[in-house]
Amino acid sequence: MLIGIIAILHVFVSHFAIGGGLYLVLTEIQARKTNDPDMLDFARKHSTFFILVVLVFGAVSGVGIWWTIALVNPTAVSTLIHVFVWVWAIEWVFFLVELIAAIIYYYGWERMDPATHIKVGWIYVVSAWLSLFMINGILTFMLTPGRWIETQSVADGFFNPTMIPSAILRTAVCVALAGLYALITGTLIRNDEARARIVRWSAKWVMGGIAVLPLAGFWYVAQLPPMARDISMGGAPVVTLFAAGSILFSALVVGGAFIGPYLFPKHVHVTYAFGLAIMGLMATGVTEWVREAVRKPYIIYDYMYSNTLRVKDLGEYSMSGLLTNAKWERPTEADTKSQVRVGRRVFRAQCMACHTVNGFNGMRFAVKGWGREFLDHQILYLNELKGFMPPFIGTDEERAALVEYLLTLNDTEQESDVAAAPAEQKGGL
Amino acid sequence: MPVMPAPDPTGLPAPVVILKFLSVFTLTLHLLAMNLLVGGVTMMALAGRKRQTDPLADRVFRRLARALPVTMSMTITLGVAPLLFVQVIYGQAFYTASVLIAWPWLAIVPLVMLGYYGLYICQFRPSWLGNRETVVAWLSMLAILAVGFVFTNTWTLMLAPSIWKDLYDAGISGLKLNMADGTLLPRYLHFIVGAFSVGGLAVMLLGRTLKSADEQVSDALQTAGRRWFLAAGGVQLIIGFWFLFALPDRVRNAFIGGNVLDSGVLAAGIVLAIVAMAVVRRMPGLAALLTGISVFLMVGTRHRVRQISLYPDLQVNNLQVNPQWALLVVFVAVLLVGLATVAWMVAAFVRAKPKMAG
Repeated sequence: MLIGIIAILHVFVSHFAIGGGLYLVLTEIQARKTNDPDMLDFARKHSTFFILVVLVFGAVSGVGIWWTIALVNPTAVSTLIHVFVWVWAIEWVFFLVELIAAIIYYYGWERMDPATHIKVGWIYVVSAWLSLFMINGILTFMLTPGRWIETQSVADGFFNPTMIPSAILRTAVCVALAGLYALITGTLIRNDEARARIVRWSAKWVMGGIAVLPLAGFWYVAQLPPMARDISMGGAPVVTLFAAGSILFSALVVGGAFIGPYLFPKHVHVTYAFGLAIMGLMATGVTEWVREAVRKPYIIYDYMYSNTLRVKDLGEYSMSGLLTNAKWERPTEADTKSQVRVGRRVFRAQCMACHTVNGFNGMRFAVKGWGREFLDHQILYLNELKGFMPPFIGTDEERAALVEYLLTLNDTEQESDVAAAPAEQKGGL
Repeated sequence: MPVMPAPDPTGLPAPVVILKFLSVFTLTLHLLAMNLLVGGVTMMALAGRKRQTDPLADRVFRRLARALPVTMSMTITLGVAPLLFVQVIYGQAFYTASVLIAWPWLAIVPLVMLGYYGLYICQFRPSWLGNRETVVAWLSMLAILAVGFVFTNTWTLMLAPSIWKDLYDAGISGLKLNMADGTLLPRYLHFIVGAFSVGGLAVMLLGRTLKSADEQVSDALQTAGRRWFLAAGGVQLIIGFWFLFALPDRVRNAFIGGNVLDSGVLAAGIVLAIVAMAVVRRMPGLAALLTGISVFLMVGTRHRVRQISLYPDLQVNNLQVNPQWALLVVFVAVLLVGLATVAWMVAAFVRAKPKMAG
C-alpha cells in the first residue's frame, strides 16, 4: 500500500523530471530563436518550480521506493541488486550527472552564455532519459524476465520482452507530463499574448505524448505473459476495471487538453490545469497499479512468488517443510506442543509479505465464517482458486496448523491463548 | 547461535575486494557531502539566532542558505551508491537490521524531504515566511540530525547478529531502535561532531572564495569556519577514543596493535587530521586535502570494524562470486565519461563570470 502511494507519486514526478527537462530546453531554444522575452522569462520561472519538484520530491521519493521495497520484500530486492548491481551503478552515474546538470542549469540562467546553458540542458535531458532507460530494464524484468530464467544472463534479463515497448511508453508519458506541469505554471502568466502562446505550446506536448500511447501500449500488452494478459483483460474484474480506467483517464486528459488549452488558450484558468494534472495523476496511478497487479502471484515472474519464496524451492519445501527452512520462524519447543502456534509461524513466514491480521489484506475479515474443511480446501488449491496467489508451500502438517491458526482469528477464546505467547501479532506494513 | 539469513543464490557480481573498495570510496564521498550539510545547517541555524540584532549574522545566514540545498542534493545522490554496495556485500545483515527498525528507518524518507524543503525555504524566503526563517532552519537541522541518528541505529544493529532473534521474537512491531548498544552514542557523536569539524573547514573555504564579492561576510565565514574546524576537531579526538573503547574487546584489539594494518590505518587517519588542524591557517588547501584523506582512512576503519564485528557469523570473503566483467567494464567507462561531463559543466559554470555580485 505504502509502496503503491510512494511509487505512483514518484512515477508522476520522475517522468516529469525527464520530459520537463526536454520541455525547458526546447522552450529556451525557441524563446531565444524567436527573441521572445516573455517565453524566456517563463522558462526561467518554470525552472524554479521544476527544481523544487524534481530535485527534492523526485529524488527523495525515488530513494523512498527503494527504502520501502527493501523493508517489505528484502529477498526480492536482494535478487534484483545481485543480478543488476552494475546496471544500478550505471544508473547511479546517470543520476549523478542529471542532478549536477539540473543544478548548474538552474543557477546558470544569469551567469552562463546561452549556448553553454542550452548544452547543459541537453546533458540533463540525455542523462535523465538514460537513467530511466536503465531502471526500466530492471522494472520490466520483474514482469517479463524472459530468457533470463534459463540463461541467468544479465543481458537477457535487461533486454527482456517488454523492455523496449515500456521504454517507449514511459518516454511518451514523460512528454505528456511535461506539458501538464507546464500548463500549471503557464496559465499563471499575466501577459495575455504570452500566456496563450505558452498554454497552446504545452497542450501540444500533452496531446503529442498521449498520441503515442495506444500503439506502444498495444505492443507492450502483446509481450505480457498470457496469464498477466488474461488478468488485465477480464480475468480479474477489478484489474480490468482499473485497466479501463487507465484508458479513460488518458482520454480525458487528451480531450481536456484539446478543448481547453489548445482551442481557447487565453481562457484557461490555473484550476483547469490542476484538474488536468489530477486526471494525469489518476491515469498514472491506475496504470502502475495494473502493472503491479498483473504480475501476481509473482514478484519476479516465474522465479519468485510475491511472498519471496522461490519457485524452485517449492518441491523441496513441500517435502522437508517450510518452517525447517525458515530461520526466523523455527518453532520453539513450546510451539511444537501447540498446532496454533506452529500455524502462526507458518502465517508469518509465508503470508505476511502481503497479509496482515487486522489491517491491509486482513485475514480476520477474509476468513470470517469459514469452517475447517473449507479453509483447508482453499489453502490446498490456493493458486488454482485464486489465480493471483501463489500455491501454499509446506507439508500437510504445516497446512493443517495454518488452518487451525486462521480458525482462531474469529474465535475469541482460542485467540487469547495465542496472544499469551511471547511473540505478539501486531501486523506489519 | 545467531540467525543469519542465507546469502543470495545469485552470488556476488564481482570479486569482493572490488565491491569493498567501491563501497568505501563512494561512502567517503557521501560522508564528505554529509559533513558539509550537517556542519553547514548547524552553523546556519546558530547564526539565525543573532539575525535580529546583528546584520552581519543575517548576511552570513543568507549566504549559507544559498549554499546548502546543493549539499543536501549531493548527500542524497552520493549516498545511493554506498547503500547499493552495502546491500550487495552485507545484505544478509543489512536487511535484517533495517526490517527490525522498520518504521524509524522508513521515517528517514519524510525527514529528509522535510529537511530538504526547509533548506529551500530558507534559500528562497517566500513572502509568507515573514521572519520565521530561523525556525525553519532549526527544523531542517533537527530533521537532518534525526536522520543521522536512525542511520547509526541501523548500522550498529547490523553488527550485532546475536541479539536479532530475541528482538524479533519480542514482537514484530518494527520499532526496534538499537538504544541499548554501548557504541550507539559515541558512534553517532563521532559522525556528527566530525561533520561539524569538516563542515567548518568547508565554510572557511567558501569564505575565501567570497573575498572580492563581500569582504565582511568572507571574513566572518572564514573566522567562524576555522573555529568550528579546530574546536570540533579537538572534541572529535576525545569522542574517537570513547568510541574506540566502547567497542567490544575483540574488535578494539585489532586497532590497538592486534592487527598492524588496521592499527596503522587508524593511526594515520588520526595523525593526518591533527596535521590538517595544525596547518589550516597557513595552508588551507593542504588542510582540506589531508582532511579528505583522513576521512577516507576512517571510512576504511569503519569497514574493518564491521567485518571484524560480524566474524564469524557472516564472512563476506567466502561468499560465492559470479563476476559480470563485461558490465563492470561498462560501468567504469560510463563513470569516467560521467565524471568528465561533470567536470566540463562545473568548469563552464566557474568560468562564466557572475553578472550580479555575491
